[in-house]
This record gives sequence, structure tokens and C-alpha cells, in this order.
Amino acid sequence: MKNLLNILVIFTSLGCINIANATPEQDKETFQRFYMERFPDVSKEDFGNGVYALDQDARDQWESMSDFPPYEDDLEAGEELFNNPFKNGKNYANCFKNGGENIRQNYPKFDTERNSVITLELAINECRMKNGESALPYQKGDIAKISAYMASTSEGSLIEIKVPNDNALIAYEEGKQYFYSKRGQLNFSCANCHIQNVGRKARSETLSPALGHPTHFPVYRMAWQNFGTLHRRFASCNKQVRAQPLAGQSEDYRNLEYFLTYMSNGLPINGPASRK
Amino acid sequence: MKIKSLLLSFLIFLSCLTTTVQAATQSQAKEAILTAHNLWDKTKTAGHEWNTIKPLMAQATQALQENDYITAIALAKKASTQSKLALVQAEREKTNWLNNLPK
Repeated sequence: MKNLLNILVIFTSLGCINIANATPEQDKETFQRFYMERFPDVSKEDFGNGVYALDQDARDQWESMSDFPPYEDDLEAGEELFNNPFKNGKNYANCFKNGGENIRQNYPKFDTERNSVITLELAINECRMKNGESALPYQKGDIAKISAYMASTSEGSLIEIKVPNDNALIAYEEGKQYFYSKRGQLNFSCANCHIQNVGRKARSETLSPALGHPTHFPVYRMAWQNFGTLHRRFASCNKQVRAQPLAGQSEDYRNLEYFLTYMSNGLPINGPASRK
Repeated sequence: MKIKSLLLSFLIFLSCLTTTVQAATQSQAKEAILTAHNLWDKTKTAGHEWNTIKPLMAQATQALQENDYITAIALAKKASTQSKLALVQAEREKTNWLNNLPK
């Protein structure tokens, strides 16, 4: 009996190791399949609309509001900021491939020379500093407006995140572990809400699917009354479970964004968007 | 006269006693805050800091500054307890996160 129990423990452990050691592509297949099976009536592409893919009433309200999106002014400001030259005469277009247009779907990317995940917002600030400008505060304000404009030029392009080497894989795995780890006084992981309880209510709010989360950022949240980056949203989620939020562009948040965006590979960019 | 000196002695004794209790409590409060601070730092290192700990630490420090040692100790102990729980969480999640993967 004891031997049988030991064998069972060994097999269970091997099972866990296999899941933990799955390749990013296998993870993505499992992740996306989970949502497709849970919500068979929702198309893969529609998961990019978050909770509005699951709740028709909320969707109706959201769609009527989209006739006059609340972020229009900020988006225009973002375009202006993007095109305004720095003091040295150069601008953001000089720092990015394709003049900074239609590139959102490739971020975050892993820089193999620096062994670090580079998000679009980090790249924007690095571009500024390279050209003698000061860094913008992360999470909201001008950086979110510029990022929103850049996202808008990628509308419809499919997310294509790559894990180019073993160091990138480490960053990916760290992001994955962050996503599934419980934290905060309420002992919740990202997955507890956005996988295990997706579509259910937390008070009056429907919990959104994690598949498609990164497709539409930065978002204009009614609660914020302005644009916020994905890291601002991560910080809000941390606070909601009573965990200490991290600084925008901290390594943990960048790795989390890397993992989460990889999970949405193949979904079209549809940002910026508005949310409650 | 005898009663007067007896009363005076009692008052002096009482005043000494209060000072002794106060001094002990102040050092206890400092000790409790230091312990809480060390545990709090450990949760940060573990990447599992709770946002409920920082306000408790600030309140405990404030109470110490206001010579309210009993409150300072109570708050520091509360912060320590939360930090210990956060550390248990951090340790558990080293392996438990695998149970949250989609099946």
C-alpha cells in the first residue's frame, strides 16, 4: 500500500514537472484551448474585447459608448507627442523600426544583448533618453498617450511575441510563475480571477479572460478618467488583493507582460480601448 | 507628620514605578518595531509584500513618537504577524503555483 502511494506521488510529481516544463508554445496552446472550451460561443479574436466578449449587456453599453470614444482627445495628443521633434531635431520615429508604426504587436520583446524584456513603454523612454530628453513617468500621462497612438497604428496586426533563447525562456518562466502565484493578504493569483473564475462575478464586476488582456492596452478606464498602461493595471490588481504593487517597468512586471502577451499570440491588436 | 512622610514616600515610589514601566515599554516598543521591520524586509526580498504592512509600520512608528508605547507594540505585533503570513505564502507558492495552471 505504501509502495503504491509512493508510486502515485512520483507520477503526480512527474506530471507537475511536465506541466511546469512545457514549452511556451505548449503553454499557449493549453491556455488558449482553456478559454475556447470554457466559452465555445466566443471567437478567439473576440477575447481581445475582454469582459465585453462574455457579457452582452455590458457589451451593448460599451459599443454605444464607442461611437464617441472617451479617449479621442488623449489619442490625438499622443499622435502629436509622437510626431513632435526632440530638442535635437529627431523624434520617436527615428528610434523604432518602420518609423514606430505597426510595431505594437512585437512588444514586449527580449533583448538578447541586454538579457532583458523590453516593453514598448520602456523603449519609448529609452528613445527619449538617447535623444537627451528626460524619462516620462510610467503608468499614465504622456507615455500612455504615446503608447496608445503607437498601438492604434497596429490595429488588426496579430501579436507575435518570440522567446529567442534560454535567457528569454527564464524571463518567460518568471513571468509565468508570477501570473500563477497567489499573493497579497487575500491570497489571490492573477489566474485565480482570470482563469479559474473567469466570467463569474466579483461583486458587480465580471472577471475578464486573461486571453486577450494585452491586445488593447493602454486602456482608458472610466475609473481613471485617462489612459493607463498595462503595468498600471497590474498595480491595480495587486492592490485589489492587498499585495504591494511594484513600480512600473520593474523586472517582475516586464516578465509578467512578456508571459501574458505570449499567451495572446495570434490575437489582433485592438487598442487603445475603453473599459469601466 | 508621620502620615505626611508616608504619603510622600508612597508618591515617590509611585513616580519611580511609572518611570520604570514607561522606560521598559519604550524599549519594548522599539524592539517590537525593529522585529516587525526585519520581517517586513524579508517579505520584500521574497517578492510577497502585502500592502497592509506598510501602513501598520507607519502607524506603529507614529505611536512610538507620541509615546503611546502600548499602541506601538500592538501595531508592530500585528505587522509582524502579517509579515510572517506573507512569508508562509511566499514559501508555499514556490511550488503551489503549479496547481493554478489551466488543466
